[in-house]
Formats: sequence, structure tokens, C-alpha cells
Amino acid sequence: MSGSILQVHHLSKTFPNGVQALRDVSFEVMPGEFLVIIGLSGSGKSTLLRCLNRLQEPSSGQVFYQGQNIADLKSVSDIRRLRKKMGMIFQHFNLIARQNVLKNVMMGNLASKSGWQSVLGIFSEQEKQKALECLQLVGIADKAYLRADQLSGGQKQRVAIARALMQGPQILLADEPVSSLDPATCQVVMNYLKKINQELGITVIANLHFLSLVRQYATRVIALQEGQIVFSGSPQQIDQEWFEKIYGAGAADVS
Amino acid sequence: MYRKLVFDGVLFSFILSVFVFSTILRMDEDSMNLTLLSIVTVSLFLVGMGSSYFLSRRRILTLGGVLFEPNSTASGVWYKSLWAWQLVLALLVAFVMAFVKTGFSFIELFDENGFAGAMRLFQGIADPNWNILPKAVYNIIETVFMAFLATALAIPPAFVLSFFCAQNIMKSPGARLIYIFLRTGLNITRSIEALIWAIIFSVWVGIGPFAGMLALMIHSIASLAKQFSEMVEASEEGPVEAITSTGASKLQIVWYAIVPQVLLPYISFIVYRWDINVRMATVIGLVGGGGIGTMLVQYQGQAMWREVGCIIAVIAVVVWALDQASAHIRDALK
Ligand SMILES: Nc1ncnc2c1ncn2[C@@H]1O[C@H](COP(=O)(O)OP(=O)(O)OP(=O)(O)O)[C@@H](O)[C@H]1O
Ligand SMILES: [Mg+2]
Repeated sequence: MSGSILQVHHLSKTFPNGVQALRDVSFEVMPGEFLVIIGLSGSGKSTLLRCLNRLQEPSSGQVFYQGQNIADLKSVSDIRRLRKKMGMIFQHFNLIARQNVLKNVMMGNLASKSGWQSVLGIFSEQEKQKALECLQLVGIADKAYLRADQLSGGQKQRVAIARALMQGPQILLADEPVSSLDPATCQVVMNYLKKINQELGITVIANLHFLSLVRQYATRVIALQEGQIVFSGSPQQIDQEWFEKIYGAGAADVS
Repeated sequence: MYRKLVFDGVLFSFILSVFVFSTILRMDEDSMNLTLLSIVTVSLFLVGMGSSYFLSRRRILTLGGVLFEPNSTASGVWYKSLWAWQLVLALLVAFVMAFVKTGFSFIELFDENGFAGAMRLFQGIADPNWNILPKAVYNIIETVFMAFLATALAIPPAFVLSFFCAQNIMKSPGARLIYIFLRTGLNITRSIEALIWAIIFSVWVGIGPFAGMLALMIHSIASLAKQFSEMVEASEEGPVEAITSTGASKLQIVWYAIVPQVLLPYISFIVYRWDINVRMATVIGLVGGGGIGTMLVQYQGQAMWREVGCIIAVIAVVVWALDQASAHIRDALK
């Protein structure tokens, strides 16, 4: 148990409309892992990630991050400190369309800024340098002064990664980071995720759909089915039998 | 379910009360008996609700059902269904009542004397007295600036209010309370016409453009805040989630994830509001709000139609020009 960066104990989430998205989910994450969560649409993958950084409130259970139960955090500033340590990227990138790339990246540092500084849009030279470095890490520093909505999907996702890096995170949560990208761009983005995982030592927890990607990048896999963990192990262990169990009989691996 | 019952009840009560009060219990302005009226209408309303419930138990579709219960599809020919007859009957009663109440009469419309008066008016208007043009221009300038100031002063409060009146921001129970309180306040403010605000303020600060400006400002705050908050509610959730996940504060989330999304529509609404305010300002002048409207009402009272014609021409030109300008600006902002 010791040494893990994240421990999830009996986590459950029931939405107000009665949908039980997570049922008694328990697992651990070791520092530096590239953990991939798979499962059918609606199996609770996104909900699970959002319970880790409190974008969603867990209904019951505990999540320990560095020895602290984050489900217990009450004050807004404590929750914000937690979120700063966990970057997040999304399927639809969620950049601010009308702002330029550099500004988008610098927004990753909002948690360290005072209210009036951010309302006036004051960013220091230091922040700017840091943002450029983050952009360099994902190989897109030359686009720093373009408007975010002028980029291609793959470029947007790289900017989103840079924004998350700007936070100085220990964990990166990736909710279907490549689901709206073409296969080639997919590989590019996944390679950057692998790079920050291996070179910067940032723990990655990603929701993915394609098994080929899972086999290529994951160090460990968790499979969810109707909110429950039905598989946990190395990607190589997912054979045809497991595949059918997770995705339903008759499913074929298209990737 | 309850919406359907209430609707059917109101409809039933409306149709039958009209019959009752126009045939059995005739009342006019002086013999109006509110107690009797309320007793009859309320009891008819209850009967209507009851029969609607009874009908729905027997699976007969009522108009309320068609409206408020989308699952219940209307089938069969229309003249064999109850709801169609409800609709026809209600519209018929409404039209008959409306014609009677407004004293609609072709005789008056084409009455010899009245017609001649109208002709004099039209002749005057068609041949404006341009001597008062300088005075009219002076007054319309006052009106335009009155509208401008009212709009400008309404922007900051409406901007701030719009976020407190947006459901997707005010989520916690405490915030919910503020939201409901503010929404109700704004709805009440908005439902009071600017004209009535002008009457209130002309007593408060005296007749003149200042009263008119205040009236327009109050109305603009309420209208803009409503329109703004709808834009906030329609803003994309994704950026909000992303900025939240960086650990940003509520203020930062609103400022960085929502404001950029709503800024252009806001400007568009503001330009349109100014355009509306210029038109409203001329009307508000009629009740003492100053500007061109006040001038108009003075000449109209003395039946000086040629002067009225000049004023109308000036108003028409300015309103048309602003309408064009605002349309072009809003188009460019899309
Ligand atoms: N805000 C919400 N309110 C109510 N129910 C929700 C909400 N968000 C998700 N759900 C429900 O919770 C379940 C799990 O949803 P979730 O988004 O976590 O699935 P997912 O595995 O990420 O699916 P996908 O692959 O489609 O993204 C679904 O049944 C969904 O309908
Ligand atoms: Mg999802």
C-alpha cells in the first residue's frame, strides 16, 4: 500500500437522477504509472476521473492522494490546491477559442494568481517563459501567438497538454484524449503523453477506447463495466475472452 | 399533469364565465361585483379541472393534454376530437368578446366627420412645417443621448447580474436562493413597462429627460440581465470544466471560461438595446420623459398637425438610421 500516489477505496457515485455510475470501485496507482481505463460507453470512466479531482462529488468511499482523503476536503481552497496537482485534458480539448495559444497555456497557472491579477489579465514574464517551455515540450511553441480556434485537433490537444503541464501536476487525467482525432494524429498525441510520463515522471490516468493504443502505451489496465471494475492487470492479459467479457459477446477489436 | 389540469380548468372557466356573465348575470363597469365574479370563475375553474381529470382517466384527450403532454399523440379526424372543439370554441369566444369590448365598428371607422378629421391630420403631416426643424433636431438629440446614457449605465449592473442569474453558475443551495431572489426581482422589474417607470420617475425627479433616462435604464438593466444570463446559460460547459480543473477560483472560471464566450453576443444585445431605447425614448417623452416625445405631445394637444408632421419626419429618419446602423453592427459581430 505504501508508495502509491493514489488509493481509491470503495468509491461509489450515484447521480441525483438515480443513475449509479460507479459501484464500489477500489484500486491503487503507483507513481509513474501509465494507467488506462477501458470500458463501454456509459460504464463510468469519465465519472471516475472526475471524482478524482472533485469535478464530481463522490457519493461514498475514499480517495487518498498523498495520504489525504480528498473526499473529505471541505474548503474551496483545499479543493483548488488538489486540482492544481492534477492536470486534466479532455476529448474536445476545451481550449478558450478566442484567446491565443500562449494565453490558453498560462491559464494553467490561474490557481496561483490573485483575483484582481487574473481579472486584469496580468501575467508575468516568468509565466510567459514557463508557458513557452510547456509548449516546447509538446513541440508547438511556434504556434504560441495563433488563436486557439485556428489550430487542428491534434495541435489543440497538445496545447491542452501544455496547459495541464503549466499547473506543475503530479498526475495527468486524460478523458478520451484522442477520441476525436484521426489515427495518425492519435499516435502523435499519445507519444507526447508517453513522453511526459517517462521523461517528467508524471503519472498518467487515461480513458481510452482502442485496444491497440492500450497495448502500446499502458503499463496497467482497469476495465469498468456498469460502474464496477471487472478487470485489472497488464494490457497483454486482455485476450479475446477478456475482450468479450468487457465489451460484450460478439464484439470485435476493430483497431 | 398539473399544468394540463390547470390549463383545462382555465379554458373551461373562461368559456363558461363569458356565457354566464353575458347572458344570465349581466354586469357593466358600475355594477361589477368582484366577489360574485371570483366565486363563479373559481368554481367553474375547479369544475373544469375536475372534468379534465375525469376525461383523462377515460383516456379522452383534452387541449391541455395535447399541449402539455407531448407523449399523447392526437389521432383521428379533428372534428371528432374534443380538444379541437375546445380550441375552436375558445378562439370563437375570445374573438367575440374582443370585438364587443373594443367597440369595433365599421360605422365609426368610415364615419363622415371623423374621416374628415383624419384627412386634415394626414394633410398636415404630409405637408410638414419645416420652421420648427431646428427645435425638433435639438430635441431628438436630447432623446438619442437620453437613450445612450440609459443603455450605457445599464451595462455594468446587467453584466454583473447576468452571472448571478445564470442557473449553471448558481448551483449550490445558497446560491440557488440568491438566483431565485434576483430572477424574481428582475422579472417583476421587466414586467413593468418603461412607460410606467417614466411616470414613477417623473413624479420622483420631476418631468424631463432625467426621468426618462432613469426609466429606460431600469428597464434596460432588467432586460439586458435576462438576455445576458441566457447567453451564460447557453455557454459551453467544456471550457468551464477545463478551467475548473486547473484549480481556478469561481471568479477566474467566470472570467476566463465564460466571459470570452459571451462577450460578442453581449455587445450585440447592447447595440440592439440602444436602438430599442431610442424608439422607447420617443414614446416615453409622451408621458413627461422629455426629448422629442414631449415636444410631440405639445403640438398634438394643439392639433398643430403640420408641426407634428415635421416631428414625425425627424423621428422616422433618426429611428431608421439607427435601425440600419445597429443591424449592420450586429451583423458584423456575428
Ligand atoms: N451529470 C450527470 N447526471 C446524471 N447522470 C450522469 C451524469 N454524467 C454521467 N451520467 C451517467 O453516468 C453513467 C456513466 O457516465 P460516464 O460519462 O462516466 O461514462 P463513460 O464511461 O465516460 O462513457 P463514454 O465512453 O460515453 O464517455 C452514464 O449512464 C451516464 O448517463
Ligand atoms: Mg466519457
